[in-house]
Amino acid sequence: MLPFSKLMRNGQLVAKASLGGGASKLLPFLLLLPALVFIAVLYIYPLVRSIWGSFSVGAQSLSLGNYAKAWALYKKDIIFTIIVAVLGTILSVAVGLILACYVRLSISRASRFVNFVSRLTIFLPYVIVGQMMNSFLAPHGLLNVILANLGVVNLNNPLQFFNIRGLLLGFLWKEAPFIAFLTLSSLQVIDNSYLEAARSVGAKTRHIILYILIPMIKPAVAMAAVLTFCTIISTFTLPYMLVTESPTMVTVDIAHRVTYFRDYGVANALGVCLYLLAAPMAVYYLRRTVREEIYGY
Amino acid sequence: MGIKWYRIVFKALGIALIAFIIFGPLSSLVLWSIAIKWYWPHVLPQEVGLAYWKQALGLQRDWAIAAVSIWDAFKASIIIACIATGITMIVSIPAAYALARLRLPLKVLFLLFFLMPKVFPQQPIFVNLLPIFTRWGLAGTVQGVILVHILVCLLFGVWISTSAFKAIPESLEEAARSVGATAWQTFWRILMPLAMPGLLVSAIFVLVTSLTEFTGTFFIGLPFVTTLPMLLYSASGYNMQFASVLAIVLLVPSLLLMVLTERIFRPEFLGAVGR
Repeated sequence: MLPFSKLMRNGQLVAKASLGGGASKLLPFLLLLPALVFIAVLYIYPLVRSIWGSFSVGAQSLSLGNYAKAWALYKKDIIFTIIVAVLGTILSVAVGLILACYVRLSISRASRFVNFVSRLTIFLPYVIVGQMMNSFLAPHGLLNVILANLGVVNLNNPLQFFNIRGLLLGFLWKEAPFIAFLTLSSLQVIDNSYLEAARSVGAKTRHIILYILIPMIKPAVAMAAVLTFCTIISTFTLPYMLVTESPTMVTVDIAHRVTYFRDYGVANALGVCLYLLAAPMAVYYLRRTVREEIYGY
Repeated sequence: MGIKWYRIVFKALGIALIAFIIFGPLSSLVLWSIAIKWYWPHVLPQEVGLAYWKQALGLQRDWAIAAVSIWDAFKASIIIACIATGITMIVSIPAAYALARLRLPLKVLFLLFFLMPKVFPQQPIFVNLLPIFTRWGLAGTVQGVILVHILVCLLFGVWISTSAFKAIPESLEEAARSVGATAWQTFWRILMPLAMPGLLVSAIFVLVTSLTEFTGTFFIGLPFVTTLPMLLYSASGYNMQFASVLAIVLLVPSLLLMVLTERIFRPEFLGAVGR
């Protein structure tokens, strides 16, 4: 007999519709098993292998040689990756929040248009974004040509985008609408009476955004920022297609190490660096999501 | 009144800027896909035509036009995506039911299992799958690519399906049970029909994810398995027109997904898409 407190959840009596009475203890595991097998073989096994491989040089295991080599060769790129991820996250969050607040506060055709087009970018994969930015931002691509016709840019010395600028633009193009999308659903829940109360005592739009809307959706913003940071450091497609100059993202170095040198040791050391960069964010995301899934808040 | 005038101009400029930033790159794709001749400093192509489109769709063969028929890659993409989606959904639906409805000891552990690949970088995983798959004879094969796609898709399959089940009030099942339906009947006759739209969204999401998957296919499939994203990548460096045609073709499934989610997504599922 279960204690009463275990039968109660959120004040409701939990009456589980379990399949097949007595054998039901094993059932959830049986249902989960196929998916778990896939994750274990295709994700956990290579994950363990990559961490183990980063510590082995030749026949010698538990060496830090790969890390020393990775740091010596790719120090610049590791720092570059951190800079791009931090700047990209800040930019995307700022632009995304402006978009979301605008759509929340204004009821007009323009705001619906902004809402619609920003959904468009969420569903496009990075391989299309990469090709798009490749043609749009090229030295004599559409952007430079338009700016030249406006007299801003001299085409003999066009703006170069196949570096950190192009990366940031590409990430911003895709991630800012995503952040707007994630935060907008929380913004829509905020009751209009708060805004009306603030307006009636003379608050301007920017005050409402800064002191009411954003503080009220802080958890959603944090979540969106965390996801964006993780996306930027893990994305391989965009930097691989776009960046031609020397400092590039770590994911590209990993691919180079493997395809040109078959050097899994250094590639795995770089991979572990990426895990470590993602770890603080991942822990935050996992704790919150698991808490929401289990306790519902 | 001066303030109002200033505000309208400011707002219009802002919206124009947003529109330019979003549509600028998109229009660059469209223009390149129909450009026959386009030299700078011209803003628009000097000569336009559908030659690259015709060649890519296999309607003509002209050695002067640097494009190949995309049908083989298209077929490969569709076959891989359909099989990967089928397996992913067969595996995901029971798991999602267990996560959404059943009492699970160690639930935290299972949740972590299904959430980790979302936040930790996946590219080092693909890199390490390459030697593993080589040993198993799966590297460079369609089967290997399907397996990688299942890995990428499983998260979406499991999570969107879980929220599809969760969105249905438990009281409906309880009502069915209380008038004598067995658990099995309740699942098939009450839960499944109600969850179907959500599961369909999940399947479509998985299908589009597989159709546009790049990184996993790049490490496991190249150079023997050519899907549409691989063909796009191989053209992207040197052949603007053909690459743009391919990018627009690849855009179609994503647009479809956007329209469909607008139609049949209920707000409960939107949370899962972000994850």
